[in-house]
Amino acid sequence: MNILVFIKQVADTEARISLKSDKRSLEIENKYNMNFFDEFAVEEALKVKSKIKDSQITVCTYGAKKAVEALRTAIAMGADKAFLLDNTGLDNDDPLITSKILANFTKNGGFDLIFCGRQAIDDENANIGTMVAEFLDIPHVSAILKFDIIDEKKVVVESEIEGGKATLEVELPALFTTQKGINEPRVPLITGVMKAMKASINVIDPVTLGLSKDIIDTTASKISVLTYETPAGRPAVKIVDGETTGEKVKSLINILKEDAKVL
Amino acid sequence: MSKDIFVFVECKNGSIRKVSFELLSKAKEISEKLSSIVYAVIIGSDVEAAANNLQEFADKVIVVNNEKLKNYRWDTYIHVMEQLIRKYTPYAVFGASTVTGKDIFPRLAAKFNGAIISDAVGAVLEGEIIKIKKPLFGGKIISWVACKDDSTFFVTFRPNSFSVEKRPSNGELIYEALDVAEDARINLVRVDKAESKKVDLQEADFIICGGRGMKGPENFQILEEIAEIMEGRVGASRAVVDSKWRDYDDQIGKSGKTVSPKLYIGCGVSGALHHTMGMDTSKVIVAVNKDPNALIFQYADYGIVDDLFDVLPLLKEGLLKTKQEV
Repeated sequence: MNILVFIKQVADTEARISLKSDKRSLEIENKYNMNFFDEFAVEEALKVKSKIKDSQITVCTYGAKKAVEALRTAIAMGADKAFLLDNTGLDNDDPLITSKILANFTKNGGFDLIFCGRQAIDDENANIGTMVAEFLDIPHVSAILKFDIIDEKKVVVESEIEGGKATLEVELPALFTTQKGINEPRVPLITGVMKAMKASINVIDPVTLGLSKDIIDTTASKISVLTYETPAGRPAVKIVDGETTGEKVKSLINILKEDAKVL
Repeated sequence: MSKDIFVFVECKNGSIRKVSFELLSKAKEISEKLSSIVYAVIIGSDVEAAANNLQEFADKVIVVNNEKLKNYRWDTYIHVMEQLIRKYTPYAVFGASTVTGKDIFPRLAAKFNGAIISDAVGAVLEGEIIKIKKPLFGGKIISWVACKDDSTFFVTFRPNSFSVEKRPSNGELIYEALDVAEDARINLVRVDKAESKKVDLQEADFIICGGRGMKGPENFQILEEIAEIMEGRVGASRAVVDSKWRDYDDQIGKSGKTVSPKLYIGCGVSGALHHTMGMDTSKVIVAVNKDPNALIFQYADYGIVDDLFDVLPLLKEGLLKTKQEV
């Protein structure tokens, strides 16, 4: 099986993020990880590889040069090959463009199976997977919780739907986005980390993927950021006092009724 | 191009979800200023009764009623939406940032080569431009974005982003008999509906959330009772879900659900950033924790420092009394 996993490098949950003075750009502390939901995608690819002989796992990201770190994490987990589609000079953040670039990369690779995380934890968009599937004209299943290979042409998956779960039989090639709960992503072994440090990462200029520059450069973006803000913080907490627990609760309910007007 | 707005309506157990009314209310407010039309689009099987309830919220209600749409599949739903968008050429398509919305909207946008903004929380009309408000990095940053309107654009909004306001309207019902084609590469084998909990976590106005301080799964019973009194839902922190005390469906936070209820009460929740990112857009936050230095108090409006096992029975009693008075 020829397996492809899309990953994204995202700012760590704890990273400090502030506005630059123009309010049109952000200063992000240099703390990055592989996106939480993408770890499930890499793990699921590894599980397939352990079941189907001669499988190969390629990981790919569209991002800045530093995103090679996330690719190395995937290699440390066990992925075979890594590609960085370098966005230097293509400073846009439009899912339509990102998915076109990833789809064009995929077209040339002859992949049977594509995994990616259900969404990125920085923008919480959940756009890229299904959009790439559309540009490739292949089926997708979002937020999968179980994945079973039937044969090289068919899989059975369980996915989250509104108010329950659906079981689907899907013909390959197809794309699947992974939900928490599908597996327990492995922690790379030290030997994996050593291998990843030495691994060569293929860096590709997206322009060479057969998309003309005017489709992928900044001017092609259909979304413009008008401004960034920091959210208005909450005033300091009011600790509800009272001699007894009963008094505290009584006083709280009063406040919620009279001041906050939420009861 | 017109400035008409499509709202993709979602149903749950045959009735329209609150989030769809929220979206229609916002769309109507915008369209009145643009002198355009709001279409409520409802598709499924046996949706006629539900469709009638949309007439007060939209200028026109497009109904696609087809047995083939009984079970949700993105391929059939997108096929129907695609035909409707081609026919009515709306300026914008609004939907909810729900499991279904997230499955349909990006792929639909790709089909139309249209802009997509997902998981937004606000919309403001400035001149002729619809400015969309979208949190980033778990709410640490708010971005305001706009779409180029050279093609239809698509936006999904989180539940509880807008209030529901009925505007005088008596939307005409339009029944569209459309072709519904399934993608032959996908076979829906089975649908397992989870035991239907009363309210969707993301749509709940009231959430009482348990953290590790709840000490064990058996202690969530009282939270369930309080949630029932308040017609809300029980939520859980990641620690609780990872310990298998509660289902993943209950998880609030970065790797779970993002919620914005009117009232959130955290019980024995420490207030790790991971969790607060999923709830700090709640209108009012109350924290109950015996540790006065718990992080959660930095995010709360009101706090009680006490043993939650003493607080909860009294809280239940107090809330029940309040409900009975109303």
